[in-house]
Amino acid sequence: MSLTFSLAHLMGGIILVFGFSLLSQRRLAAMITIYQIQAFVLSAAAFWQGYAQHEVNLYLTGLITLVIKAIALPIGLRMIVAKFNMIRAVETAMPVLLSTIIGVGLIGVAVLVVLPSTLSAVSLTREDLAIALSVVLLGLLVMTTRRNALAQIIGFLSTENGLVLAAIGMPGMPFVAEFSVALLVLLAFLVVGVFLFRIREHFDTLDLTGIEEIERRGR
Amino acid sequence: MILIAIILPLLAAPFLGLIGSPRQGAIANVALSGIVFILTIAAFAAPGSGLVHADDLGLVFGGVTGFTGLTTAVASFFYLREAEPRLSLRRWRVYHAMCQVVLGSTLLGLYADNIGLLWAAVEGATIAATLGVSMPRTASALEAAWKYFILGGVGIGLALFGTMLVYLAAQPALGPGFSAMSFTALTAHAAGMDGSLLTLAFVLILFGYGTKAALVPLHGWLPDAYAEGPAPLTTSLSGPLINVALIAILRFRHMLEANFTSGGTALPPGPFLLTLGLASLFLAAFSFSRRRDARRFFGFSSIEHSGIAAFAFGIGGAAAVFGGLLHMLLHTLIKSALLQVLIRAAALRGSTAPGHYGFSHLRGLIHSNKYTALVLGAAMFGLTGLPPSGLFVSEFIIVMQTIQRSPWASLPLGLGLLLCAVAILRNLGPLVFGHAPPRTKPAKATPETHLVTLHLALSVVLAFAMPPMLVGLLSQVAEALK
Repeated sequence: MSLTFSLAHLMGGIILVFGFSLLSQRRLAAMITIYQIQAFVLSAAAFWQGYAQHEVNLYLTGLITLVIKAIALPIGLRMIVAKFNMIRAVETAMPVLLSTIIGVGLIGVAVLVVLPSTLSAVSLTREDLAIALSVVLLGLLVMTTRRNALAQIIGFLSTENGLVLAAIGMPGMPFVAEFSVALLVLLAFLVVGVFLFRIREHFDTLDLTGIEEIERRGR
Repeated sequence: MILIAIILPLLAAPFLGLIGSPRQGAIANVALSGIVFILTIAAFAAPGSGLVHADDLGLVFGGVTGFTGLTTAVASFFYLREAEPRLSLRRWRVYHAMCQVVLGSTLLGLYADNIGLLWAAVEGATIAATLGVSMPRTASALEAAWKYFILGGVGIGLALFGTMLVYLAAQPALGPGFSAMSFTALTAHAAGMDGSLLTLAFVLILFGYGTKAALVPLHGWLPDAYAEGPAPLTTSLSGPLINVALIAILRFRHMLEANFTSGGTALPPGPFLLTLGLASLFLAAFSFSRRRDARRFFGFSSIEHSGIAAFAFGIGGAAAVFGGLLHMLLHTLIKSALLQVLIRAAALRGSTAPGHYGFSHLRGLIHSNKYTALVLGAAMFGLTGLPPSGLFVSEFIIVMQTIQRSPWASLPLGLGLLLCAVAILRNLGPLVFGHAPPRTKPAKATPETHLVTLHLALSVVLAFAMPPMLVGLLSQVAEALK
């Protein structure tokens, strides 16, 4: 049992570290790589939980994560980056130091909120949940501090990794595989990029500063 | 019955995406919505059982959703006549398919007896609505869609986390498996759930589904989506979608309340809901004054009414919950009527494209067409909540309950309601009776304005002379979820 605990926590911790490093990374290509490693670790975590809980569903989740999120999605993202020639793109919506400090604060909040309220839950789930909530909040932070649409999408992908991490830690939860598929549909819509291409068409860049356009016109 | 009502529109959507001409698509859309409406009414006789079954709450709101879906489809049919040249066949295919997906997922959200399925329904509806909003393909429509998608995505993520925490909180009472995700079982065993975990879950769910209900900190997408999307889809169908989110919040609120009152460790849900409700009400009240676009204006009105419903649920007790539910029902009817007649009004002035809904553009409507102008005026008056509007009844119940249960909150509530009503009345006069812009010619009304009148009449009947069967049904629901 103790090996189950420590390995699961280790993988959760690695996912959190990569979620955190998304915050400080400015180059899109590097963000994609970080996300990819995060997804690889997540699929390993899913397989491990499947082994520990004897759940076929979790193996399935791990497989979906591996094939689509760790392999297919990053390839697609890299193609978009190459196509729009954004390999060296740097965008600064908020100073990196400030967003890092806020990130640390969010992790603190997640731990403070989850640990006391889950005293009675199984301890495996307990710490996993704190980690997962941190990953989710960090992903949301990335989404809010970046102006670039692609960077926002990567933030969303990271958030979604946090959600799957929480889901695989739930003892015997039904629908886990279905949840990850449903989330993937959402991601696919984002990445396959009805938006990316159309936004490109209309704004000429992937910078979403222009999103305040409506406000300025005051309609 | 229920399963067919959900699956039929979802299955039909891909075929609508292949159909040969926009006109045929619109006809198929009306036919499908008609069948779904009949099925939602027939569901009263056979509510089904198991994973997807309609409880009383689902039945009532399912019926309203079916009705609104049908009138929206009819309005879309007439919308097509004006807007057809502007958009390509491909856009119309997407549009009609998305109308059906939104309808199907809304019904799934209302009928699902499973917190996971509810979440999936909301997610599906979000994706479909985003595609719908982006349909005009103007830069501002894409901005609106992107905003909707990002905020909606955040909301969906938070709601899923909350959903998983509810499952975890139910472990001590129900153990692993499907029963820990069923609303029926969760509500029955709320007392045995882990209270502090449930509180955390409720906060996440409140913000998650609160995004879809456009409660204040996460409301930003709604006015943009209303103003920039294709008129019938985003406006009329988003009413029922808001209901799904509010009903979800109501159901989870009840679990928390039940756990709290039976001595569990949960926090009372009231203060959370009261705060968000009042914040929405006041944000709307202060945002009204500066809006120049009518659809954006009424977007803020949806935020207002969503806030009032959340406020009523926060007050708690059977009567307040009854008031909140009645408010949601009537608001759906009046708001979709209003938005439909607004399309007519814009058509009288030449174009239904986004950007042609400015108050200055539409003002003095009575000089264009008397009937349409008066119906528009009646619908706007309905939104103020002054008698004889139907909303007067629900707001009266909510205010009375507030005075009784938490008197301190009645002052801000009354002030907010008053400010909103004044803001709407201020715009009503010039819009309907003001001087028309130069070169305005009288035009003929179109037959579907009668549908709008039907909506309004129905809302008044529901408020002042509700059939006893419906009163009984709603009171039972309110009693069970107080």
